[in-house]
Formats: sequence, structure tokens, C-alpha cells
Amino acid sequence: MDSPLLRRCARAVTTTHKHIRRRAAPQQCRFYADQSDFRAAAPIRFDQPRAELLDNDERSRGRKNEKPEIDLYSLRIVPASPSYFTATPQYTDDLLHLSTLVRRHKLLPHLPQGEAPRIAWKTIDQYKTEKAEPVKMKGYNALLKLLKELNYIHPSLMPEEVKAALETFKRDVQPYLNVPKPITVDAYGVSIAVGRRKSSSAKVYLVEGTGEALINGRPLTDYFGRLHDRESAVWALKCTQRLDKYNVWALAKGGGTTGQAEAITLACAKALLAHEPDLKPALRRAGCVTRNPKRVERKKPGKLKARKMPAWVKR
Amino acid sequence: MSLQICLRCLSRPSAPSQIRLVPTTTNKQTAAFTTSTPHAAAGRIQVSQMKPKRTGNKPTATRPVRVKRLSPKNVPQRTGRPPAPGERKALRKRVVLSNTNALEVQGMPDLNPWQLFDKSMHGSVAGLPDDVVDPLRVVEAFKPTQGWSLFRRPATLVRSETVEMASWVQEVHNSQEGKTVRKVLFGERGSGKSVLLLQAMAMAFSKGWVVVNFPEAKDLTIGHTSYVPLYRNNQLYIQPHYTASLLAALPKANPILADLRPSREHNLPISVPPNISLARLCDLGKDPEIAWPIFQAVWSELTAPSQPDEGEGLVRPPVLMALDGLHHIMCESEYLDRDGKHLHAHNLALVQHFLSHLSGASPLANGGMIIAATSGSNKAASPALDFALRRNEALASSPGADIPAWDPYRKIDTRSLKAMDGVEVWRIEGLSKEEARGIMEYYAKSGMMRQTVSDTLVGERWTLSGGGIVGELERGSVRMRI
Repeated sequence: MDSPLLRRCARAVTTTHKHIRRRAAPQQCRFYADQSDFRAAAPIRFDQPRAELLDNDERSRGRKNEKPEIDLYSLRIVPASPSYFTATPQYTDDLLHLSTLVRRHKLLPHLPQGEAPRIAWKTIDQYKTEKAEPVKMKGYNALLKLLKELNYIHPSLMPEEVKAALETFKRDVQPYLNVPKPITVDAYGVSIAVGRRKSSSAKVYLVEGTGEALINGRPLTDYFGRLHDRESAVWALKCTQRLDKYNVWALAKGGGTTGQAEAITLACAKALLAHEPDLKPALRRAGCVTRNPKRVERKKPGKLKARKMPAWVKR
Repeated sequence: MSLQICLRCLSRPSAPSQIRLVPTTTNKQTAAFTTSTPHAAAGRIQVSQMKPKRTGNKPTATRPVRVKRLSPKNVPQRTGRPPAPGERKALRKRVVLSNTNALEVQGMPDLNPWQLFDKSMHGSVAGLPDDVVDPLRVVEAFKPTQGWSLFRRPATLVRSETVEMASWVQEVHNSQEGKTVRKVLFGERGSGKSVLLLQAMAMAFSKGWVVVNFPEAKDLTIGHTSYVPLYRNNQLYIQPHYTASLLAALPKANPILADLRPSREHNLPISVPPNISLARLCDLGKDPEIAWPIFQAVWSELTAPSQPDEGEGLVRPPVLMALDGLHHIMCESEYLDRDGKHLHAHNLALVQHFLSHLSGASPLANGGMIIAATSGSNKAASPALDFALRRNEALASSPGADIPAWDPYRKIDTRSLKAMDGVEVWRIEGLSKEEARGIMEYYAKSGMMRQTVSDTLVGERWTLSGGGIVGELERGSVRMRI
């Protein structure tokens, strides 16, 4: 009855009870948990038997050799992070890390509202694929909110750890880095801009002058027979009442009459904005600033044109 | 009646005066100045016809039975009286010179060739006096496509080209040895070439010159009038009916012809009394059979040296000959010769007559002006004339200028090139901003343009009309009612 094994088990039970460390009660808000309490466990030594199975004298021999007595019997493999016990450990870790950073760097100067650099963050699908975890939209949005808050830190004072953390969440290709070259007025007072409409494109050279306009080397009336087309070509100047203040030299190609006229409209507006940037709201209201994205719809199989169906036959 | 839409500019006439009614009857006794439609003037509209017809199928004396148009078997019958021959053409060519709805511009000076040199006239609009308007109408100087019908009375802008033209007229009038000014006007469509011709004719009429006008050179070569080869001459063809109409209009437009007598004998197919007036001689030429010999006789009389001391009736004034649409006579005509090939326009006697004077081969003994204008809207394909205009312009600009050369591997009409040798060409460009302001103020004073004439508006319209092209300026300001 009093076999050595039973005795050892009983001892093990009592010793495990003794060696249990009471953890402190978890804090109220898990986003602001302090991770300093958690440490990785000591590596498991497989060359020695479990501490519980060793005799007392063997155990003491281990102490004399100044090797830590590992009670293999009561050994617990503690996870590296408590997030192990969540459904999405890596996500939870990320969230907590970002929360820490936010809290830590809360007092750093931030950029004004709307002036933070525009970043394309990873989509939830990209994140889920990367981490291979079932992250929910609500959860990911919370993550994005933290990222955006960290993004507002002034770039000159942004700590390296924050930068490193933000980099891991940015998309590989940042579309917002693709900014158009700013249109400037050169040394001769000429600004050059390009506009497109349907399949036409136009390049306009705008310079201060008396109101002359030449399209492909021909006068305005010679090139555009319709008054409507003429007006729309120089609409940017007409609606701001600056027709007599600038000279226009335009090169248009592709498309038809109206397409070229509208392309010149856009190009003229962009060139005018180089001279007078404050006219942007007025030109936007006039409809000169947005590039009309409409194109001719392609013909589809089974239809006569893009949408026109052949005559319906009952049978 | 549906409103018309201009297919080019998609404008609709918003003023009631611009809506044209199409009458179905004609009355040949309408006065030249009337603005009422011939249909209304005929007085043949019955009250019952003006009411909208509700019940339709009873035949009456004047109209046959109306057939329903719904069934495809029955072709709709034409009702009403068909137009008389020439009525549609008369309607098409009808020129209205007055609009009673427009305001009268107070203090508008008359186009006085003696006063045109005054700087104050330049840039303002001058009215045409009545004694000039009637002869201009007879020679068809007014065109139906021009905007005469929009204003109270005919008036034209005095632009820098007008002042220059007036200086030439003055020079010719004052010269003793019979100076002849020969010019070809060319430029963009709507730049005012035809109106400059009209102004030259107006100045000539007021100075008492004899004016011969070919309003549309197209009519000479399009093949719509009769043509006959000259006796024993395979090259030249005369156009009897055209010549006859020209001779019919000549004394009506130039009353001075009634005072002139022939200075020599002429070999004519009919016997004429020796003291016949030139006006009566022209009247005899209304018969197409003898029109050409009489025209030649009249012309030789007009270009005979003036003999003011010999007797009355032998004074010869200078002659102005004008032609519009030069491209049509610088290419092949629609007439066919006996082999079935197209005749070149230069084979027509009238065309040859004009071109010999234009090139300077036939001088005018008493001086005068020979002016031709190209037409931007009614152009025949004549690469030779286009090239000749560019070449002559380059030659006149500066001696060392880059003179264009024709590609020797491409065929060119050498006759037209030769005809244009040594002829001065004159490019008519857009108005200046001051002149544009002047004409826009006239539009505003006439009540046809409602905006206030400010520098911004003038600049805007000047640019939108392609640098002050008058025709486009008028279209943008007066015809398009935005």
C-alpha cells in the first residue's frame, strides 16, 4: 500500500500545491495590460528525469552541483504569451502591442486633423491570410484605429519602434505615393498641362497675354465650327472671366471634335490652376477640374452593340 | 410648325423675328422694301383657311379630298396650290434689310466716302443711305445669309480695311491718268470679305461710278445657265442668258448710264440709233440672242477714254467690277465641250473678261477697281488658287521671305496660276478689340444684345470669335440668344 510510487504522488500533490504561485488579479481593461509579468518558461531539459521522480538525496545532489532542481513532475509549459489562450493569438498580441505604443507615446506632438500622410493599410483579408487567424472585422477595425492614431505622430519625432510597427501593417504597394507632378509656371511664364476626354488628349500651354487662342496652329473658329465647342474649350477662362488675360496654345489629338474640346477644357483648367491656385473652388463648381471617366462601352457577345439586343423572337 | 434648330451650333431662334414662315402663295407685286411675307402680302389667305381644321374629309372647290395618311396603300395627296416657277428661288434669295423690332440707333452717321478718312469714324458703325441701298440691292450685293434682317436699317462697321479701301477709291477718283486698283480679298470664313466688297460698291455708287457685280461666281460655272460657243472660236463660250440678266440689272443699278452716249460705231446684230443712251442699249441687250455683242459694245464704251469736252454724254466715270467666290472660276466648270470633257472656267467669255481685267491685261482707261473675294463657306477645290494666294502674299510681304514652291511632281492648274500672276492679294483678318467694341455697342444700342458692353465682355467675345472674326462675333452676340 505504501508503495514508493504512491508516496511520491502524494508528495507531488502536496508539493505542487505548495509551488503554485498566485497570480495577481487581471486588470479591468485588457487593452492596457502590462506585459512585463509574463516571461517565457525555462527551457525543458530532456537529459534529466523529472524532478518529481528523483529521490530527495538525488535532488540534493543536484543542488550541490548548483544546478536548479527542476521538478519535471510538476513542470508546466507556460505559453510565451497569454494570447495563446485566445482564438487569435497573433492578432491579440498585435493589438496589445499597438495599444502599448499608443499609451506610451500619447504625449508626443501630433499632426493636425487631416494632414497625416495617407497610408494604404493592409486589408482584413490580407491580414487574415498572413496570420492565418479568424480575425473579425470589428476587431480589425479596432486595430486600424490604433494604427491611424499612431500615424498622426509627427514624423520628425516618431520613435523607431512605432515606425517598425506601422511598417508591418502597410501594404506592399502604396498607391498614395503615386502623386502627379505638380504643374508649375516656368521661367517664360508658361504652364503646361494635359487633359483627356473619351479617346482625345490635349496639351495646353497657357501664358499671360491678350486672349489669343490657337489649336493645332489654327485659330479657334477655324478648328471648332460650333460655338459650343469653342466655349467649352476655353471654359476655364470664360467662367473666371479671364479670357482676355491669357493666351492659349493647344495641341489636341485623338477622338472627335467635342472630345478634343473637352480635353482642352481640362488641360486649360489645370494650367490655369498653376497660375492661380485660388481658382480651384470656382473651377470645380464650373465642372472643369474632374476628369470625366466615361469611355465608349465595348460590344458584348450576344448583343448587337454594348446594350442593344437582337430582335426578340418568341420561339 | 416646329422650331428650327441650327444643326451646327444647336441654337434655336428665340426671337420671333427669326422664325421663318413658309408661305404657299406668291405675289409678284410686293415692294422691294416690304418685310411682310409674300403670302401675307398677297392677301389671298381666307379666314377659313387660317382656322385649324377639325373636320377634314369634305371636298370643297379649292381643295380636294383629304386622304388619311395612316394606311400605307394611300399616298398622301398634296393639297393647296403648288408654288409658281421661280417662287422658291425668289424666297431663298430674298434679302430682308429691316427689322422693325430693333431699335433705331440715334445719331448713326451715314457711310460717306469723303468722311471716312476722319479718325473718328473708324471703329464706329455707319448706316447706308437709301440712294445707295437700292442700287446695292439691284446688283445683289446683300446676301441672304448676312444679318441685315436683324437691325432697323442697313449699316456696316467702318474698320481699318474700309478706311484703306476708301483711300484707294479716293485715289482712283482723283487720278487723271486712269489708275486701276486690282485686289483679291481672302481670309477665313466670316471675316467680312463680302461686306468689304459691299462697302466698296457703296462708295463707288455714292461717287457716281459704274458698278458691275458678279454676286456669285458659282452661277457662272455651275452649268445652270445656257452656254454657246463663240462663232468660229472653239475656245471661248458665251453665256447668253447670264449676260442678258447682267445687262438688265446694269442700267437699274447705274442711272448714270442714261446720260451717257456711245462715242463710236459698233457692229451690232441689230440696228441702233446713233444717239441711243447706254441705258437704252443695255435694255436692248435683254434678248439673250444679242446679249453678248451688246455687252461687248457697252463695255468698250465704258472703257473708252473720257471726252468731257466733246459733248455731253461722253464723260466716262471709273468702273468698279466685283466678284465673289473666286475659287469657282479657278478650276473646271460643269459645262461640257463637244467632246464631253469639262470646260475650264477660263474658257467662258465672261470669266475671261473679268480675269483679263484682274490680271491687268485689259486696262481701264478711266481708272477703277477690280476686286475679287474668295468665299470661305462656298469654296470650290482650287489648289492652284490657294497656292497662288500664299505665293503672292509671301512675295508682297518681304523680298527675302520664304516663297512657297509647288511640288513639281504634282499636277497644277497652270492657267489659274498664270491668271493670278502679279495680282495683289489682301488677307482679311479679324477685327481689333476697339472695332469689336464699336460693333458690339451698335448691337447693344439696337437692342439686339442685352448685355452691357464692358471690356471683359468685348475681350470674351473677341476671343470666342477666333480673334475678332466679324461673322462669328455677330453669331455669338446677336444670333445666339443665351
